This record gives sequence, structure tokens and C-alpha cells, in this order.
Amino acid sequence: MSLLTLANVTKTYGNHVGVRAVDDVSLVLERGAFAALAGPSGSGKTTLLNLVGGLDKPDRGTIRIGEAEITAMPPSALADFRLRRLGFIFQAFNLLPVLTVVENLEFVPALQGMAAAERRRRAHDLLAKVGLADVGGKRPNELSGGQQQRVAVVRAILTEPDVVLADEPTANLDSANAERLLEMMQELNRERGVTFLFSTHDPQVMARARRLIRLRDGRIDADDTHSSATTQTRP
Amino acid sequence: MLFLTMAWRNVWRNRRRSALTVSVIALSLTFNILMRGIGDGFHEQMVDNSVRAHIGHLQVHRSGYHDDPGLNRTLPDPAAVQRALAALPGVRGYSLRVLGDGLASTDDNSAGIAIVGIDPTEERTVTTIERAITEGRYLDGPDPRPILVGDRLATTLKTRVGDKVVLLVQAADGSMGAQLFRVGGLFRSGSPDLDRNVAYVRRSDAQDLFALGDRVTEAVVLLESSAAVEGAQASLAAALAGGTYEVLTWSQVEPFLEQFIVLDDAFFYIIVGILFIVISIGILNTILMSVFERVREFGVMMALGTRPRQVVRLVVLEAIVLAAVGSAVGGTLGSLATLYFADAGIDLSSFAEGAASIGITTTVVYSELTAANVILSNLAVFVLVVLVALYPAVHAARLRPVDAIRHV
Repeated sequence: MSLLTLANVTKTYGNHVGVRAVDDVSLVLERGAFAALAGPSGSGKTTLLNLVGGLDKPDRGTIRIGEAEITAMPPSALADFRLRRLGFIFQAFNLLPVLTVVENLEFVPALQGMAAAERRRRAHDLLAKVGLADVGGKRPNELSGGQQQRVAVVRAILTEPDVVLADEPTANLDSANAERLLEMMQELNRERGVTFLFSTHDPQVMARARRLIRLRDGRIDADDTHSSATTQTRP
Repeated sequence: MLFLTMAWRNVWRNRRRSALTVSVIALSLTFNILMRGIGDGFHEQMVDNSVRAHIGHLQVHRSGYHDDPGLNRTLPDPAAVQRALAALPGVRGYSLRVLGDGLASTDDNSAGIAIVGIDPTEERTVTTIERAITEGRYLDGPDPRPILVGDRLATTLKTRVGDKVVLLVQAADGSMGAQLFRVGGLFRSGSPDLDRNVAYVRRSDAQDLFALGDRVTEAVVLLESSAAVEGAQASLAAALAGGTYEVLTWSQVEPFLEQFIVLDDAFFYIIVGILFIVISIGILNTILMSVFERVREFGVMMALGTRPRQVVRLVVLEAIVLAAVGSAVGGTLGSLATLYFADAGIDLSSFAEGAASIGITTTVVYSELTAANVILSNLAVFVLVVLVALYPAVHAARLRPVDAIRHV
């Protein structure tokens, strides 16, 4: 069942001599996918991820997530869509520094209006699951980079979004922490059916992705599905 | 609650900068409350001095007297006025007076003066003229035809207590009236006008001098509270509605006083306005800096689904936190300072001459702390800070998440 559909999406930067960061890309992503956008710097990975996340608007083409065409949404509706349907993991972790770990995890569900007891329960359950049960009261700057990124992953999945978009999630981690993070995300994908779409040039991520979409100069250069992978879908 | 928590913590991320901003807010509020308190006390004293020196809170005349005073416009029925005053709540005292102009002459000099005929007992309940006597005695002694003159008038007339003064007037019937008086006392009210131009005699002597019989020209009323003036005026006017009377408040009798207060208030608000503009620039700078430092955070928040109006709310809440702490400190300091000067007073003796010319007869001004002053000052600071915060708040809310997240 397709979750994400891009049709002829184009994004150009610069007014006069435009650079096509994304050039006429069409793509369908199934629910429960564990996919990576790979390619060299400037290939359009991050731009494509930003477009899918509704953080930027394409010049042409449409993007659908489920039944919603996000390219047609006004900014406030788009903000609401991101809040309820998408999860984000950033390269630089980007936890809010004035909030504790648990408060960071509660931020999105609080905006959604989830009851305090429920969001706190989910936060503690997931923290325990990723081995961070004892850091809930700490501020982000008291955690290591690996711990911060695991918290960021938990933040992204806590409200069970349709798709989690992760921009170079392992870029600031050493290989051991990167491996641990990938295992965790893979487990969440398998057990909970969370759909992941990464942008990366990290071979570790590419090796674990069940679908690898290679970009070059804003276009899809190759789209490989690993035959051994088993796609789990959310019940 | 989440945004309030974030706002509180964001404010204290840069403690030194926030402390400086809070100090600016607190000091401006302290200044505002104290200066307003001194102004209120100053005005209250000025009005009270004028009211208690001579004019009272209310004056009752025959209609038209205030615009064109004359002995042909005496009160139509003084007894009716007395009955109305007796029935009026909040009246501390009243005095029926005879007012007329005349020439005061001594062996050495003469001067045109205002002659005020009073009943010493009644007048005591309204004005402080008895307490202003610096030499001699009040008009309630056994001596025949005593006269009280201001110390400046005494200097002009070159007269002293016990000396003779002849008053020459045009009486109500058109005849010339002349009587010999003897200086019973000298007074110094502090009002140059009173001290230079006014002499008090017994009401019966004035009625004889002006050939008025038992008629009087005005009733001067002192109320328990100056705040009740307008209400008392309306009640008294209603009670005397059947006759041809005018009931005037102190501000109508002496419009200069009220005009001075309005002008003084205007200057105060101009100064406070300039102060607030300067402070606003400082606060704007602080909040803008704080927003510029957190562009990436705002980008992350918006990427996660925070709406622009929630970003505005967060920045405004941060400003409100600054304003609240500043208000708490400034409100307390301002109130304490105002209370201190309400008790200790501010010595203005070096400005006594100038102050006296505008009705301030004491050399110490006492501030006055009112709830309205504290509430309005705090409200003004709050509104100012919130308005100032709107620009950086809207700026933050208009950031594009995709650009803001990349911001370094």
C-alpha cells in the first residue's frame, strides 16, 4: 500500500541561473518502508527530504502522503500536518536545549493535545526501550551525541507518525553509535511498522536500508530494493 | 504550561542580559511610581493648601457672583443654605462670609485690599487662617473691631499689632463707608496673594462697614474628603435648586490650580513617555538578540509542527516573564520609595519662594501612594513590553523552517 507519492517534483534554487536541486522526480514509497535517499553532496537528498516533509515547496509537481496532497496545503495546515503525521530526525539532533529529555519527548504530543499522563507514559516506555531510562530528567547538553540522537529518534516516533524523515541521522555519530542507532530504528520499523525515509551518504545506513534510492544531479539514478528485506506494515 | 515553562527557562538562559533588562524595567517602574506618587502628593497638598487657606471645597453664591462679584449679589437666603448644608453628608464645616474691596490706610501708607468678614468660630472649621497667625491673636478676642492682616500687607502698610487701620469702602447702598480698626494679629498663610492683599475682620463688622445688614456674600464649605467634591456639588445644587444660587467647586473658583495640575501631569507623561521609548529600544534589542540566537530552535519547533502563532506566543511570553519579574521588583521598590517619602517628605525649602507662588505653602512635599498609580504603572510597563515583543515575535514566526534549521 503506497504511503508516499511524488509526481514530477521539481525544485530550483536561484532566480536567474536556476540550479535544479530536484529535477522531475517521481517516486512511490510503501507503508512500512525502510528506505534511504543516497548520493553525493548536492545530489538533492536533503532538498527532497525537505519537500517530502513540507518544510519547502516544490516549483512543480505534487507530493501526497496518504490521501493528503501536502503541496496544496497552506502553511498553517502544513504545520498541523507535520505535527500529526510526520516525524523528523535531524543531522544535528536538534533537541530543544531548555527542555529535559522527557519534556523534549513530550513536546510534540503536548502540541497535539495528548493527555499529560499518556505522553509521559509513552516517553518513559520508549526511553526504557532504547536504553535511556535513567536520562529522562537530564538536559540535552548533559547527554552524549549518540544518546541525543536516540532521544531524537524517540521524539520522532513517540506519536506514531505515518513516516519518519531522517536527514543524515548518523552524520555526527561514531560508527558504534551509528550502528546502535540504526539497529534501534530497524527494530522500530520491524516491530511497530514505522516508515523511515533517510537521506544519507553513510554506507552503514545504505547497507541496512531495504530500499536504496540513488540520486544524482537532482534525478533518481537508481532505485534498488534489497530482495532479502521483509517489509513490515503497520496493522 | 509547556510554553510558559519554556519561556521562563529561555529568559534565564542568558542571566546577565535578562537581569539587565529586568533592572531596566524595574528602575523605570520605580521611577514612574515614585514620580507619580510625588506628583499626586504635590497636587493633593497644593489643592489642600488652597482649599484650607481660603477657598474651601465648595462655594455657594448668588447666581452670577463668581463672574461679576459685587455687594448687590448677596446670598438670597443664607438660612436656606445653612439648612441645605446641615442636611448634606460629608460636610466638615462651613463659613458664611462677607467679601468686599476697600482701601486700607495707616498713618504711613495705604493699599487696596480684599476685606473678608468672617465668623471666627465658623471660619475655624473651614480654613487654617487661625493657625497662620504669627503675631497677635485671632478675631475671637474681646477687642472691638480687630483686623487680621497678612504679613506682607503689614509691611506695605508699615503697621504692627495694636496699630490703627482705617478701612474705606463703597457700601452696598452706594454710600462711602469708613471704619477704624485695630490690628489684632498678623498672619502668614504662605500664599503671597493672601498675605499681600487680604484682611480678615469679624463678619458683623464687615456687614456694618458695607451696610449689608445681616446679609452675606458667600458660604464656603469644607468636606470630609476632596474625592467627594463633585457629588457634594451636585447634591447641594439640587437642594438649592429652587433659588438663584451657584455652587462651585474649588477648581471652578480657582481654575488656575486645576490647569496647573493638568499641565504638570502633561509634563510628567511626556517625561515618562520619553523614558519608556528609551527603555523600549533596550528591551527590543534584548528580545531581538534572544530571537536571533535561537533561529535554529524556532526552525526545529516549526518543523515539528509548532504553529507560527505559537511561536509568537512563546516570544511574547518570554517578554511577559521579563515584565513580570521587572514589575514585581519595580512595583515593590517604587511602592516602598513612595511610602518612605510619604512619611519622610521631600524638603523643598530651597524652592519655597517659587513653590509659594503656586500655592504650595509648606516646604516639605509628601508623596502619596495609590492603588491606581501602582496598577496603572504596572499595566503601562506590561503593555509596553508586550508591544515591543511583538516585532521580534512576528519575525520569529515568519522564519521558514527549512532555512531556520540550517541557520548557524
